[in-house]
Amino acid sequence: MRNLISFLIRHSSWFVFLFYVAVSLLLLFRNNPYQQYVYLTSANAVSASVYKGVSSVTSYFNLHSINRDLQERNALLEMEVIDLRHRLDECRILLSADSLSLPDSVARSYEYHFASVINNSVSKPMNYITIDKGSSDGIEPEMGVVDQNGVVGIVSVVSEHAARVISLLNPNMRLSCKVKNSDYFGSLYWDGSSPYYAILEEMPRHITYHKGDTIITSGYSAVFPEGLIVGTIESGMRTKDDNFIALKVKLSTDFTRLSTVRAIKSKLTDELKEIEKEG
Amino acid sequence: MARQVLQFIVLFAVLILVQVLVCNNISIFNVATPFIFIYFIIRLPIDMRINWVLTLSFLTGLVVDIFSDTQGMNSLACTLLGASRNTVFGLYVGRRDELVDMVPSVRSIGIAAYMKYLLTMTLLYCAVITFVEAFTLRDALLSLLRVVCCTVLSFVIMLGIDSFVNTKNEKGL
Repeated sequence: MRNLISFLIRHSSWFVFLFYVAVSLLLLFRNNPYQQYVYLTSANAVSASVYKGVSSVTSYFNLHSINRDLQERNALLEMEVIDLRHRLDECRILLSADSLSLPDSVARSYEYHFASVINNSVSKPMNYITIDKGSSDGIEPEMGVVDQNGVVGIVSVVSEHAARVISLLNPNMRLSCKVKNSDYFGSLYWDGSSPYYAILEEMPRHITYHKGDTIITSGYSAVFPEGLIVGTIESGMRTKDDNFIALKVKLSTDFTRLSTVRAIKSKLTDELKEIEKEG
Repeated sequence: MARQVLQFIVLFAVLILVQVLVCNNISIFNVATPFIFIYFIIRLPIDMRINWVLTLSFLTGLVVDIFSDTQGMNSLACTLLGASRNTVFGLYVGRRDELVDMVPSVRSIGIAAYMKYLLTMTLLYCAVITFVEAFTLRDALLSLLRVVCCTVLSFVIMLGIDSFVNTKNEKGL
C-alpha cells in the first residue's frame, strides 16, 4: 500500500497531465453545438459583459457602412411597399364584392427580436457569434438569425442576457437553399476557406445556372422563412457525384462587419416538430 | 514573492484580455493570427512544481477557450505546452542551478538561449493548435503555412511584450 502511494506521488505529474488532456479532449470531441454548458461558451455572464463593454465602443466604427446598407434596404422595401399597394388596389377593384384576407396562421407565423452582435469571428474553422439578447428577451435555441443583408446563422446556446449563434461560417451548419424563381433546392455549407463564399451542393445537373442568380432560403426547415436572401451564384464547381452539381455562392451577408441582427421566431416550428415526430 | 505573484496575475489578466479582444480579431491574409497569451506560460518560473505549471497552463487555455468558443482546443494545446516546457528549456540551458533568476528572460539565460526557447515554445504551440483545428477542416498545406505565419507573428509580438515587461521590472528594482 505504501509502495502504491509513493508510486502515485512520484508520478503525480503524469496523472495530472493525463487528467487535463482527457478533460480537453472531452470538451473537444463533444461536438453537438446545441448541448454545451452555457458556462463554457462565450454566452456566459463574465465574457458576455466583457464583450458588451467593448462592443459599446467598437460598434461606432462601422456606422457609416451600416447606415448606407440600411438606406439601400429601406429604398428597396419602399419600392416593394409601393408595388404591393398598387397590386392591392388592383385586387380591390377586381374583388370589390368579395373579401380577401389571409388566414391568421400564415400571416403571423414569424416574429422578430432585434439584437446587437458583441463578439464575432470569421477566420477560425468553426465560427460563432455572440449576441447581447438572451432568454429574458425571448431568444430561444434554434431561432434563425438574419441581418439587413441576408442569413447569418442559428442560435445554439442561450443564457439569461446573451446567446451564442452558430455562424453560417461553421461546418456544423447546413442551410437548405434554392435558386430564386425555381423550385430546385440544395444544401449550403461553408468549406472553411473564405468568409465571403460558401458552397451550395446537391443541385440537379440538368438545369443551367447563371452567374449572379440569387440564392434564397427554401423554407423547408421552419427555422428560416422562405425567400430570405443568402447570396448570388459566383461559379460552378466540379463534384465527385455525376448526378449533382455544386455552386460557389457569394454570400450577401458581410460577416466581417456584422452589427445589428434579427432573431426570427417561427410560431410554426413547434407544431412542425410535433408533426415530424409523429411521422 | 507576493509581489511576483501579483505581477503574474496582472500579466495573466492583461494577456488574456488583449488576446480575446484584439488578437483573436487579427487574421492577416486569413492565415496569420497572433497567440500572445502563451507568453504567460513561457514566463512562469522554471523551478515551479510541474503540477502547478500544468494546472495553470490548462486554466489559461480554458479561459481563452471560453472567450473564443473553441471548446478544448486551446486547453489541450496549453497543457501540452506546459508539459514540454521544462524539456525545451533544458535543451538550451545546460545548468539551471547557476541561474540568477528563475523566471526565463534575456537577463537570466542570455539572449541567444532565450530567443531559441521562446521560438521553440511558440512553434510548438502554433503547430499543436493548428493541427487540432485542422482535424475538423482545412488541408495540410494551408495548415503548414498557418503554423509558420502564426509562429513568426506571435514571436515578433512577444519580443515586443518582452522588452516592455522587462524594462518595467528594472525600473522597479
